[in-house]
Amino acid sequence: MELRRASSLELDGGTPLHGGTELVPLLRSGIVQAETLVDIRGVVPRGIDGSTIGAGATLAELECDPQIPDALREACRLAASPQLRNVGSLGGNLLQSTRCWYWRLKWPCRLHRTSDGFGEECFAQEGEHREHAIFENGFCASAHPSDVAAALVALGATLRTNRRELPVADLYRLPSEDDRRTTTLEPGELLLSVELPQTDRSVYLKAMDRKSWGFPLVGVAAARTEGETRVALAGVAPIPWLLEGSLDDATPLPRNAYKVDVARALVKRAVSSLEAS
Amino acid sequence: MARLIRTEKEVEGRYEEVWLVVEEDALEQWPAGPREIVGRPATRIDGLERARGEAVYTADLKLPGMLHTAVLRSPYAHARVARIDLAPALALPGVHAAIGPGELDVLVEECGFQGVAVAAVCADTYAQARAALAAIEVDFEQLEVLIDPDEAVARGELIGEPRVRERGDLERGLAEADVVVTGEYRTQVVLHNSMETHQAVVQWLGDSLEVYISTQYIWGVRDEVSSSLGLPPDKVRVVCHYMGGGFGSKNEAGDFTFIAIELAKRTHRPVRCALTRREENLASGNRNATIQRLTIGARADGTLTALGGDYVNATGWGGWSSPVEGPMQMLYACENVKTTTWAAKINQPPMKAFRAPGFVEGTFGLESLLDVLAAKLDIDPLELRRHNYATNDAADGRPYSSKNLLECYRRAEPHWERRHEVRARSTETVKRGVGMASQIWYGGGGPPSYAWVRVGADGRATVVTAMQDIGTGTRTAMAQIAAEELGIPLAHVTVSLGDSARGPFASISAGSSTTPSMGPAVRAAAADARRQIEEIAEQRGTPDAPLGEIVGLLEDAQILGKGGRGPNPTGMQVLTFGVQVAEVAVDVETGEIWVDRIAAVHDVGRVINPLGASSQIEGGIIQGIGHTLSEHRLHDPRTGQILTTSLDAYKLPTFADVPEIVSELIDEPDMQLTNLGSKGLGEPPIVPVAAAISNAIRDATGAEVHELPISREEMLRALRAAALKEKVGAPAGI
Repeated sequence: MELRRASSLELDGGTPLHGGTELVPLLRSGIVQAETLVDIRGVVPRGIDGSTIGAGATLAELECDPQIPDALREACRLAASPQLRNVGSLGGNLLQSTRCWYWRLKWPCRLHRTSDGFGEECFAQEGEHREHAIFENGFCASAHPSDVAAALVALGATLRTNRRELPVADLYRLPSEDDRRTTTLEPGELLLSVELPQTDRSVYLKAMDRKSWGFPLVGVAAARTEGETRVALAGVAPIPWLLEGSLDDATPLPRNAYKVDVARALVKRAVSSLEAS
Repeated sequence: MARLIRTEKEVEGRYEEVWLVVEEDALEQWPAGPREIVGRPATRIDGLERARGEAVYTADLKLPGMLHTAVLRSPYAHARVARIDLAPALALPGVHAAIGPGELDVLVEECGFQGVAVAAVCADTYAQARAALAAIEVDFEQLEVLIDPDEAVARGELIGEPRVRERGDLERGLAEADVVVTGEYRTQVVLHNSMETHQAVVQWLGDSLEVYISTQYIWGVRDEVSSSLGLPPDKVRVVCHYMGGGFGSKNEAGDFTFIAIELAKRTHRPVRCALTRREENLASGNRNATIQRLTIGARADGTLTALGGDYVNATGWGGWSSPVEGPMQMLYACENVKTTTWAAKINQPPMKAFRAPGFVEGTFGLESLLDVLAAKLDIDPLELRRHNYATNDAADGRPYSSKNLLECYRRAEPHWERRHEVRARSTETVKRGVGMASQIWYGGGGPPSYAWVRVGADGRATVVTAMQDIGTGTRTAMAQIAAEELGIPLAHVTVSLGDSARGPFASISAGSSTTPSMGPAVRAAAADARRQIEEIAEQRGTPDAPLGEIVGLLEDAQILGKGGRGPNPTGMQVLTFGVQVAEVAVDVETGEIWVDRIAAVHDVGRVINPLGASSQIEGGIIQGIGHTLSEHRLHDPRTGQILTTSLDAYKLPTFADVPEIVSELIDEPDMQLTNLGSKGLGEPPIVPVAAAISNAIRDATGAEVHELPISREEMLRALRAAALKEKVGAPAGI
């Protein structure tokens, strides 16, 4: 494997490397294969300028910046561990893969390529799924782990890449029989910055298995703008989940119905804390 | 005069008879309380060395020409190797040797659990060894898996016979009871996850073998290796100067050592074999899951009349049946007790001892159900425990060598009293409460164990013994004992340990036995040296001169003291006791639990180093919090394959999970036990943690927890069950 430094946003087929907290473990376990790693730290914007945040900003930088809305700041603060937040970037966090153990252990599931196409089973559905999805889990029960993504979806943020601009929510797609991808990112496309619209108040609440360094069992982001509240959840669906209907619509698996209860409590708290202002 | 005697020895509740050579020399114990050095806090004598990275662990060792090993382990819970071809691996660059099933006992064809070793390759670099491993052509034939422990018991798939322990008549005891409570409790598989993974570096020197290994038992490895290879024991030298934890998982040589030995033999090179973190999570042992179906009967005044338990150890493909019934048998006075313990043989990695094996799990079940009884009888939980206090060993009637549990209870009172104030701070959504649990465990250590003490003309002393410091601060405790006995400053004592070729036989560091086994031997050796020095002083007519002055004449001559560990008191039960009081908060809507404070009061005889002791208590409680709240090795229910193989999936507690910990020790020497009166403290602090927390949760919320870990789902389930019970149980019309 070769490592080179990016001199422009054109990576010539190389695999972009920023903080490496996600990519390196995936390379080690063979889920991602790469001939060339391209260090993009020099070409991806990093600073925070008013409502624009460089995709290269670390979570640690965001968590202690008072310009950042509460939901995003808290999502950063409650993510990973201080060591990981010191190197993990905003862009990398948005593009991280699921923590589904079957996927991480390379079971031939629907999201993994096999010798003849893709896997034909979601092992979590009939297996161990306490950390898995309670929405849209019929094809793939993986849960999206990004606290930050849920916060940005609730905040209604926009992404700028080297090819286009799009709402953060549009970065993600539910995998399907025809297309197993979980993001809409094209080959060679790089996240460059995030634009935050004005919000009045926002909040992020998180349930995890221990007090630090835990992916969200349920994360709830809520943002209020001109009397309207948007709620988005982490850890409940294969993608960051904009809560448009009710939690009664959840379709939990036999051993993760508790997530619905946790989500209900956290959503109620998040919304009422915004209304209390 | 040396005497050969036969005596009983206990390690983690398992007894054996051993031969023992003892000297006719009984030192009087020191008076109770802190001495000049013993009983006073001492920072670790090797602390700087460790902090500076100068301490050499097995993981740091690089021998010239050393090869690296990668091990092919079964990816399936039950499978047979149908075909294996090592040739493609051998053809790759840097590869020196490859071995497979049939070439070594620890490499198997029938794989009874995921992670069992099948083949191994060694190469110049670890990366080359890994690449070669991937090139091995292997076909596994998958076999039917058995992973449900109850089903294994029903099918008679057991390790050993069921263990039945009975006294009195359980049925009669139940008939005499005014109240009977029953409960089913389950505990999960948890992993040791030592900081240093299991590993060895070996090299052959002619027909002798050097084994550098991260181990809790240098001499056990020496015996295991020498007998397995048919070598005279002294042809095997085992070295462990520093180790990164063991917690019971490093009592044996392990597959990695035998693989390294065989590959070193074939290649004529030193060979390292080290488990990766992922292998460590599969194949290095575990605290097995348990199912406990318990019954307690009591009279209205709280007197226990019956204790019954059916216990299933989900032992795995190998291992032994841990004494999960021990607390029910031993903790309280009760005439009618019957326990049956099955060890289910299932397609899961074998258990290994893990910090008070069985007692941690059994205490959770028993002490949780005891609080249910207390509530039903409307008796204060602390009073209920006092009321059933056992004055002689509850299981076999033997007198205790010492027991200060009542004093522990008394010292716990101020912590227990806080419950009124703690509960009062509850809000509508966050309920607070306090719970307690008692602790009983072994920890008396035993013979044989030996030490030498060498004093030179500079008045400094070196303790020489081939023991290992598992990481608890043993070096420091031994130096304190020698310094105290010799009457010299602690800084003037060094400790040479960790090498079977440099010092006499020493105890295993398991079963909370290092200090009670080794301490008396070190003190005896120091006393032997001191006596010689006093005799010299007497001859020179300066009986009161300081030690430095007397030995100053020695030049290169040395004073050599030797000491051995005497037997434990005959006919007595040597145990450790304690109590812990936990304060928790529970968010009743989200199931989140905070452990705010744990007060621990333990009785382990004389305390050698109060600072080291409080570290042990803190470490035990933190590991116990992981066991109680977050750690869980999960497997796929259909295939038995392990799903949590990394430290982000297997959730050890972080510092953010650590509560305020208040440590107290009774520090009363056991007058019956050795020349020191000290017992071990490695295991006791983890024993009551889960039960104290689950009882605090019950106190806070009324919810009865039945499973570890107390995850969100278990907490919310218990809360729902409690709410339902309240509704159903409410009088009509409300």
